Amino acid sequence: MRKILIVGGGTAGWMAAAGLAFYTRGRAADIQLIESEEIGTVGVGEATIPPIQQFNNLIGVDLGEFVRQTNATFKLGIEFVNWTRPGHRYFHQFGFHGDQFSDDIESVYLHHHLMKLQQQGDKTDLADYCLEAVAARQGRFALPERGKPPMGPPLQHAYHFDAALYGRYMRSLAEAKGVTRIEGKIVEVHQHGEDGSIAGVTLENGTRHDADFFVDCSGFQGLLIEKTLKCGFEDWSHWLPCDRAVAVPCESTADLAPFTRSTAHKAGWQWRIPLQHRIGNGHVFSSRHMSEDEATAILLKHLDGRPLAEPRLLRFTAGRRKKLMHKNVAAVGLASGFLEPLESTSIHLVQTCIQRLGTLFPLDHPDEATEREFNRLGAAEYEHIRDFIILHYCATERADQPFWTHCRTMELPPSLQHRIDLFKSRGTVARHFGQLFKEPSWVAVFLGQGIVPQTYHPLVDAFPIDEIRQSLGTLRDRIQRYVPTLPRHRDFIARAFPPDVPAAQTRIPA
Amino acid sequence: MKKIVIVGGGAAGWMTASLLAHFTRGGPTSITLVESEEIGIVGVGEATIPAIHDFNRAIGLDERDFIRQTKATFKLGIEFVNWGRLGDRYFHQFGFHGDRYSEHVDTVYLHHYLLKLWRAGDDSLLEDYCTEAVAARMGRFTWPSREAAPARPPLRYAFQFDAALYAQYLRGFAEKLGVTRVEGKIISVDQRGEDGFIEAVVMENGTRVDGDFFVDCSGFRGLLIEQSLKAGFEDWSHWLPCDRAVAVPCEGLETITPFTRATAHDAGWQWRIPLQHRIGNGHVYSSAFLSDDEAATTLLQTLDGQKLADPRFLRFTAGRRKKLMHKNVAAIGLASGFLEPLESTSIHLIQSGIFRLLNLLPLDHHDPATEDEYNRLGIEEYEHIRDFIILHYCATERTDTPFWNQMRTMDLPDSLRHRIAVFKSRGRVARHVGQLFLEPSWVAVMLGQRLVPDAYHPLLNGVPTAGIATSMAQTRRQIRDTVEKMPLHRDFLDRLVGASRPELSLATP
Repeated sequence: MRKILIVGGGTAGWMAAAGLAFYTRGRAADIQLIESEEIGTVGVGEATIPPIQQFNNLIGVDLGEFVRQTNATFKLGIEFVNWTRPGHRYFHQFGFHGDQFSDDIESVYLHHHLMKLQQQGDKTDLADYCLEAVAARQGRFALPERGKPPMGPPLQHAYHFDAALYGRYMRSLAEAKGVTRIEGKIVEVHQHGEDGSIAGVTLENGTRHDADFFVDCSGFQGLLIEKTLKCGFEDWSHWLPCDRAVAVPCESTADLAPFTRSTAHKAGWQWRIPLQHRIGNGHVFSSRHMSEDEATAILLKHLDGRPLAEPRLLRFTAGRRKKLMHKNVAAVGLASGFLEPLESTSIHLVQTCIQRLGTLFPLDHPDEATEREFNRLGAAEYEHIRDFIILHYCATERADQPFWTHCRTMELPPSLQHRIDLFKSRGTVARHFGQLFKEPSWVAVFLGQGIVPQTYHPLVDAFPIDEIRQSLGTLRDRIQRYVPTLPRHRDFIARAFPPDVPAAQTRIPA
Repeated sequence: MKKIVIVGGGAAGWMTASLLAHFTRGGPTSITLVESEEIGIVGVGEATIPAIHDFNRAIGLDERDFIRQTKATFKLGIEFVNWGRLGDRYFHQFGFHGDRYSEHVDTVYLHHYLLKLWRAGDDSLLEDYCTEAVAARMGRFTWPSREAAPARPPLRYAFQFDAALYAQYLRGFAEKLGVTRVEGKIISVDQRGEDGFIEAVVMENGTRVDGDFFVDCSGFRGLLIEQSLKAGFEDWSHWLPCDRAVAVPCEGLETITPFTRATAHDAGWQWRIPLQHRIGNGHVYSSAFLSDDEAATTLLQTLDGQKLADPRFLRFTAGRRKKLMHKNVAAIGLASGFLEPLESTSIHLIQSGIFRLLNLLPLDHHDPATEDEYNRLGIEEYEHIRDFIILHYCATERTDTPFWNQMRTMDLPDSLRHRIAVFKSRGRVARHVGQLFLEPSWVAVMLGQRLVPDAYHPLLNGVPTAGIATSMAQTRRQIRDTVEKMPLHRDFLDRLVGASRPELSLATP
């Protein structure tokens, strides 16, 4: 049996362990993980996006157990405050606007119809047509209940949770599936003489651990992928100049928002991630435009409750490794690159990397074609998310700070420039199958950030205006009637996940 | 956009007219189609792929009526003969192998299990695990219904039809929706002085047909896109050297195969497309390796029945226009480029072009972003199909003619080389979501062309072979049982188009 060694614990490491243990089913490989309790993990409150449900289902997570063990709350999207201009807010929802949406079928998305109505004086907002957005605004949430007919369409959702607790939970699943944990600090990495691939690592206590394949979850440093194999880093800080974050948890509020909030500041933005027991907060900023002290002061000024710890500082550079897999190493998580968590993609990048590793599971020997395929897919995903994040910065009217002036006027990646041009001229989202963020997301952020198309889709003119007015009105009414029947988010969690109910009574929604 | 003028009829022209008219009705757009009865259309028997349903459904065609009017038969895939080696046969099915498949969920595709079984001496074929392929082999077909195949997913199918009849059928449809047809030959094109945009086409009788936007369906010559706007042509004949076809219809047989056949010859290949009333045949070849006479002789010698017309010759060059949309013109069909019909993609390229045009319907003013998007998507699709077609030529062991030696050893596009390398080393199909040909297609053709991976999926290490063998045998048995209950394709068709036997009710899909 072949041996896979995961270097580093934390969320990425233990997700990789649990995922690979699922794929190999204790047969195809032997999996070990080395971590040191001395090295802290970056355990701030973490927001996710809906595909996390796939990962949880894949590895057999029980929803009740998961919600209790990680202090999870539910998330319906992200509220963006002050991004377009100070005082402005918009919502990037999960789900979509209108009745139906399929990535596979081309149709005229709802915003085209709404634009025509708005030109005639209609005052409704895109978010009024989205179940998740309206539920978020009203602080409501519910999952479909087993054995009961659904009251309405299921809400597309993800979770907020404590990433350190999630990592610990993943560890318990991984260990139950036979993953061995090795405690210790790595002091030396050994390479094979002939091809430079990794042979093994030596720990501080002198023990050596060899393996056939290595998963580098060592975080920013990239112990194997960068320090040893020198893959190089593609720096994107000219597009994403934020390079620091200062994070602090604070006391919770009475009401529990079922969404993440992202508030733009003078030279960056602040996250607000409500967990069951506290709120995770952080200020992401550009050190070229703001001092650490000022960033900390802004963060502390904008908390909803008393801080529960000392603010912690993180440093990073936006970008990705030039190779995400090289020789017999794959980098997962921060070892593979960094994109600020503006669209909650950190856990997602970990998860897709693991899934890619499952489909392109290492052969007995390093294989160039495998490496090329892994890197091609990973790079495409990184670039897609990068473009989406840059959009939030560059599409702004803010001219109040040098930071925003830089972001507003910088030269963009051609892929993003094309997307913006196309949306500006006709409200069309450039088509890319299989990408993470689909038309409903791009539309919400484009319009939210103030990019107003010159015209709506010409096919809208084939519909009588009264018909459009009526069908959009019906949609809005239906949402308006349905949402108030849902429980408040905090009440729902208290009722659906009481601390003492056995795990078997809750289920993972399909 | 007020006035759209479609230049050229045929399948491309009338498909464009139908779809645009269907979706713009009630709006301010008017649609005119200019065609000449004198200019023949390339109306040989045409095979399609399942995506044709999207088109027919979008415009609301009644499937039964469509089948009657176009003399259509059902198609479950393509049988490839003599491609990997002389004497080889394999089937590229619609649908997939095994019990389920989703493009969106990554799973270990069935062939990995089969590769493992083969190593243990198993001699079953990939196609034994595919309902469409087994039904094709047994000459059976039925419309999807729960009664017909309770345990299996419904048959994925397309049609083989007479493209000229299809064009005629759609013409009736489009004219009912208000499309104006202008008969006549175009003798000149008027371009605007300052920017070269097309203003009008001028007919032989002096009539001037002006428009805001033009769809060039004029065929190979590309009257507007190339002759007027000089979009340029990207030549792919170094990868696809076939540049001629000779086509002839022949009498049909008692049995109507529910599939297309593509038989490789010395310097090209021959199609066989069974329609209700006859069989369409054609020999695609490279003029550098074979004379027209030799090509025609080979074709006529291998017909299944009496020929019904004189052989007709066609000339083409594989490739695409450098721009598929330029200024106020979009090229659809042969005006946009040519890929030989080895995988029956001609109608599909027309249809996806039209859907793209609809989605990016021209605005009142010229918009460069629209043009860029249209071209980006169209080019991506052309290149994807191109790679898939090249695969059939380059993945071969044939060394019997200079043509095959050249094909076997030529330099490949990087994208295809990567695909082949990934498949060769581990049986994995490089992932491209949303492309036309998905994993089941690539696997069928790659294995069919004797490209056998060095390794199966490593996650199958440690999975006992006996267990795999049992469940695979069960799948095979289930498929056979399902197919044996289906009617013969000919009987199914007779009942459908005969319509004189009321006692038989057919489930409509």
